[in-house]
Amino acid sequence: MWTVGEEPNRHAPSRDGDVPEPLPTSHTRMETTRMRLPERQLAVLEAASATDERTIDEIATETGLKPETVVGAAFDLRDEGLLSVVETAAETLDLTDEGRRYVDDGLPETRLHRAGLALDADESAVSMGRVIGEADLDGPAVDIALSNFARKGFGAIDAGELTVDPDAEPDADPEAAALAALADGETPEADDAVLEQLDSRGLVDRGESVTRSVTLTDDGVDALMTGVEATETVSELTPELLASGEWRDVEFSEYNVEADAPTTRGGRKHVLRRTADRVKDVLVGMGFQEMEGPHADSDFWINDCLFMPQDHPARTHWDRFALDVDPMDEIPEELIRRVESAHREGWGEDGDGYHSPWSEEFAREVALRGHTTSLSMRYLSGIAGAELDPPQRYFSVEKVYRNDTLDPTHLLEFFQIEGWVMAEDLSVRDLMGTFEEFYRQFGITDIRFKPHYNPYTEPSFELFGEHPETGEEIEIGNSGVFREEVTGPLGVDCDVMAWGLALERLAMLTTGAEDIRDLHGTLADIEFLRNAEVSY
Amino acid sequence: MPVVDIDTDELRGLTGRTDTSDAEFKEDLFGLGLEFEGETDDGLLQFEFAPDRLDRLSVEGVARSLRYHYGDDRGVYVPETNDPEWTIEVDETVPDERPYVTGAVIRGVDLDEGALESLIQLQEKLHATMGRGRAKGAIGIHDLAMIKGAPLQEGSEPSITYRGVEPDGEAFVPLDANDELTPAAVLEEHDTGRTYADLVEDLDRYPAIYDELGLFSFPPVINGKRTEVTTGSRELFVELTGTDQWTIDRMCNIVCYALSARGATIEEVEVNYADGAAAPDEYGAELVRPNFDTDEKSVTHDRIETLLGVDFESEEVVDCFERAGLDAAYTLDEDVTYEVEVPPYRVDVLHPLDLVDDVGRAYGFDELEPRYPDVGTVGGRHERSRLEDAVRTSLVGLGFEDLLNFHMTSGTENYDRMNLKPGSDVVGGGDPVEITEPYSEEYTQLRTWALPSLVMLLERNTHNAYPQDVAEVGFVAERDDAANTSVAERRHVAGAVARRDASYEAAKGRLQAVCDDFGAELETPRTEHPSFIDGRTAAVEIDGERVGVIGEVHPAVLVEHDLEVPVAAFEFDLDALR
Repeated sequence: MWTVGEEPNRHAPSRDGDVPEPLPTSHTRMETTRMRLPERQLAVLEAASATDERTIDEIATETGLKPETVVGAAFDLRDEGLLSVVETAAETLDLTDEGRRYVDDGLPETRLHRAGLALDADESAVSMGRVIGEADLDGPAVDIALSNFARKGFGAIDAGELTVDPDAEPDADPEAAALAALADGETPEADDAVLEQLDSRGLVDRGESVTRSVTLTDDGVDALMTGVEATETVSELTPELLASGEWRDVEFSEYNVEADAPTTRGGRKHVLRRTADRVKDVLVGMGFQEMEGPHADSDFWINDCLFMPQDHPARTHWDRFALDVDPMDEIPEELIRRVESAHREGWGEDGDGYHSPWSEEFAREVALRGHTTSLSMRYLSGIAGAELDPPQRYFSVEKVYRNDTLDPTHLLEFFQIEGWVMAEDLSVRDLMGTFEEFYRQFGITDIRFKPHYNPYTEPSFELFGEHPETGEEIEIGNSGVFREEVTGPLGVDCDVMAWGLALERLAMLTTGAEDIRDLHGTLADIEFLRNAEVSY
Repeated sequence: MPVVDIDTDELRGLTGRTDTSDAEFKEDLFGLGLEFEGETDDGLLQFEFAPDRLDRLSVEGVARSLRYHYGDDRGVYVPETNDPEWTIEVDETVPDERPYVTGAVIRGVDLDEGALESLIQLQEKLHATMGRGRAKGAIGIHDLAMIKGAPLQEGSEPSITYRGVEPDGEAFVPLDANDELTPAAVLEEHDTGRTYADLVEDLDRYPAIYDELGLFSFPPVINGKRTEVTTGSRELFVELTGTDQWTIDRMCNIVCYALSARGATIEEVEVNYADGAAAPDEYGAELVRPNFDTDEKSVTHDRIETLLGVDFESEEVVDCFERAGLDAAYTLDEDVTYEVEVPPYRVDVLHPLDLVDDVGRAYGFDELEPRYPDVGTVGGRHERSRLEDAVRTSLVGLGFEDLLNFHMTSGTENYDRMNLKPGSDVVGGGDPVEITEPYSEEYTQLRTWALPSLVMLLERNTHNAYPQDVAEVGFVAERDDAANTSVAERRHVAGAVARRDASYEAAKGRLQAVCDDFGAELETPRTEHPSFIDGRTAAVEIDGERVGVIGEVHPAVLVEHDLEVPVAAFEFDLDALR
C-alpha cells in the first residue's frame, strides 16, 4: 500500500492504493513502498517544517538551491499535496539614485535653507542668485530646491530675493527622515502622504513583493516519516533504463529545445526525376500508357516517318547528332516504300509530295533522336509491339538530343514530354480539351492555342500559358493532329493528335531554377540538389 | 522561323488602309500568325512567322493576306499575263547538278527606294527558305533594258541562254566589283563569290546565263553588273535556276505576285530545254512561265466538321474559303464535297487537310470550345521505367543522392581519366559510339558507363561537405555491330561513396542492400579493373551472372579528379535486378 495520501501523485502509478504488479525485470526497485522524489524536491521537503512557516529565501539558504529552483520544487510538492504554499504580498520601498544622492548631500531645499541662514537671509532678503551660489546648486536642482523650499515653508521668494523663515526646522523634515531610514535599511515611520510625495518626486520606488512561505502538510510529514528517496537525473534514455524499468524512477535532464540541430542529410531523388514522376502520374491518371525505345535511331523513324522533307533545315548536319555507325538494316521494306511515296507523291488522291530529294540511304542513317516522336512513330506503326486499334493514349518522358548552344535555358540533352491520343474522328476541340486538362494539373490554366505550322501536324498549335508566379505568357508546348502523310504510311486510318514540350521548362517553372545546368548534368551542384524544394 | 521586315507606310499604301496605326497592324498581323519581333535599324517592323506561308515574305504578300483578313479581297486572284516575247534556251552544257530554269518578264515597274528594298528583301528571304540557301533555287533579277536578246533565227524573238561555263571561261564584271573576273576568280576573290562557292566549286562547268553580249549572270552566286536593277529600271527580266522545277516556279510566282501588286505587268517567257539538257518529264521540254495555273483539291464537308468539331452550313464553309483567298464550289449530294481552287503562290497546300486548317483559321480557332475527349483508355507505366524507379527509391533510402548526368561525354572523361582503355574487356571498356563530326571536344561520344559521370560530379563538388554518396540509374551505350542501330543501349546502376572512411565494405554493404531489396543473389569474386585498386576489386555477380564491378577507386583516378577522400563504388546492369 502506498502510504502517502489520497491526492494524485505523478510518481504513484495508482491512486486507489493498489500496488501495481511489479515488472519482472524490476524486483529490486519495486519492492519498496518508499516514495521517490527528484533530489531538489526532496531537499525542499526536508527543509520545510510542519509548524513554522519558512520562506523561500530561508529554504534556498538552507538547501543551497537557487530561489527559483526552490519555487519550482515547492509548487511541484504542493501539487502532490506534500507542501502548502502561502503567498504574502508586501509593499516594497526602494531609494532611487536621486533619493540616495539626497541622503548624502541633503535635500536641495534644505541646502537652500542652510545657505540662506549663512547669508543672514532670516534678517533681510538676499538675492536669490547669491543663495543658490552659496548652496552650490545648479541645473535642475535649482528648480527642485526653489519649489520645495516654498512648499515646505522654509522661507519666501519675492522679486528675485529670498528670505528664510528662522522658525522652520529642516532637520525635522519627515521626507528627509524617511529617506534616511530607507538608506539605513529600516522601514520609515512616515505617513502615506509623505511616501506619496517622495514617490512623485522620484526619490523612491513603491512596489509590491510576494513572499512565499511553505509548511509541510500532513501528507508531507507522513512521507518524510516513511522515508523518501531521491531519484536520479539522467541525460540519455538508454536501453538499460528501458529494460530495467528504471526509466520510471529517473528524471531526464532538460534540453534547450529551441536550439538549432545540425540538418540530417539523406539521399533524395533528383529534382528533375521528381518532376518527371509527377508528369507520369498525371498522364497515367489520364489513361496514357508509357512508351520506350531507342535513343540512337535511324533518320527514318526520327524524321522521314514524320514527313519531314530530307532537305528540311532541322535535318542538316548542324542540328543533329549523327553517329559514326553503320546504317540501319532492318526497317520494314513496305513501310519504307510507303513513306518514300508520301514524300515524293503525297498521300491520298489529292495529295502532293514535297519537291525535295529523298534517299533511302539518308533514311537509314543512325543519329541520336532529336525528339521522342520517333517512339510515337514506332508505336503507331506497330513495330514496337502489337498493331494498335483506336482508342489509344500513349506518352513518354524521355531524353532527346539537339545540337544547340549550351546556356542557362538550353542543353544538348533534355527530356521531352511526348503524348498522343488515337481515336476515330478526333477534333481540334478534343485536342484543346486534353491539353487544358493536362496543364491544369500543374496549375497552368487559361492556355491559349496559337495556330502554328509543323511539317507533321495540321492543324498545329503552339500552346501558351501564364507563368503561375510571374504571370508572364510563355510557350508551354507544341501540338497538332498528325497529317495523313504521317499516319497513312504507318497504317493508321483514324485521327492521332499529339503534343510535346520540354520537361526542363516545366521543372524550371515549378522549382524556380534559373540555370538549367544546376539541375542537369555533371556540372550540378550537390548542395543545390540537396536543397531543392520537393515538388509533389 | 522566317522574319519579314515591314515598312508600315508601304503596308498602308498596299492595303489601302491609310488610317490604320502601327499598333493596329501589329494586332491584326498577330491574328494571322505574324508575331512582332522588334524593329530594324532603319525602323522597319520585324514579324516572325511559321515557314508555311512563304508568300508572306514581302510587304506585298503581307498586304495581300491582310486584305483577305479585312474582307477587302475574297477568293482566288490571278494576275493577267501577256504572251511571251522572250525565250530562255537551255543548252545541253548546263551542269546536271543544276538543270532547271524558269523566269518572267516584268514591264511597267515603278521602283522607288522602298519598292526596290522590298524586292531585294523578298529575293533574299526566298533564297534562305524555299531556296535552301540558294542550293535549291536562286533568283536573278535584271534590268531588261540592259539585255540584248539574241534572236535564234533571223527575225525571231529575242532569247537568252542558260548554259555551262568553264570555271576559267568568260570573264564578266560582277555586282559590287569594278574588274572583270572569271567565274573561278569570282569564287576566290569576290565576297559574295566566297560565300556561295561551296554550291558550285565541285562542278566541272558552272551555271551561267548569256545574252548576245555574253555572260551576264552566274547563278546561284552573283549577277553581272551590266544588268543591275536600279530605281530607274522600268522593265525587268527575272530568271531562276535550281535543282527542282516546281520549287523555282513557285518562287517565281511569289516574286511576280509581289511586283504585280505594285502595278507591274507580267509577261510570260518560253523555256526550251535542249535535247541534251536534263528536262523534266513531268513538265515537258517546252514550258511557258510563270505558271499561274491554280491547283484543285477536294475536301468533304464531313471532314471539316469532324476535324474542327463544329457544325457548319455549306455557305459558311465557302465564306471561310473565300476569306482565306481560295475559291470553293460544292455539290449538293448526300456527301457534300468542296472543290477548292488554290492560287499559284501557295506552297503549303499538300493535302486537303491543309484546306481544313485554312477554314479553321478563317473561322477563328479561338472560337472553338475545348472539350475533353469522351474516349476511355487504361494508363500505365512501362516495366523498365518502373524498375528504374524502384531501384532509385532503394538507393535514395540508402542515403545516395540521385543524379542525372549527360549521356554524351568525351573519350577523355569516359576512358583516359578513369585509367581505362577502349576495347578492353571490363565494365565501361566497350567500344564507343562516336558522334560524326562533333562540334565540341566535351561531347564526342555516348558514355559506355556511368561511373565517370559520378566521379566528374564529385570533382566538381570538392568544395561541398562530405560525405557525398551519389548514385545514378541511367543510360549507357556501346558499339555493337550486331544491333540494328549498331548501338547496344543499356541502363546501368552506379553508386559511389565518397567520405573519409569510404571502403570496399561500405560499397558492398550498400550493394548488398539493393540486391536484397530485389531478392537477387549477390556474389563478388575477385577481379581486376584499371579504375580500381588491385586486391580491392570484385566482379558483381547477380544470380550467377557477371554484370558489373565493385571496388575502391584507384588513387590515380582520384588524384586525376582532385579528390582528397577515398571513393568506393559499384556499377552493374539494371536488367540483373529484373
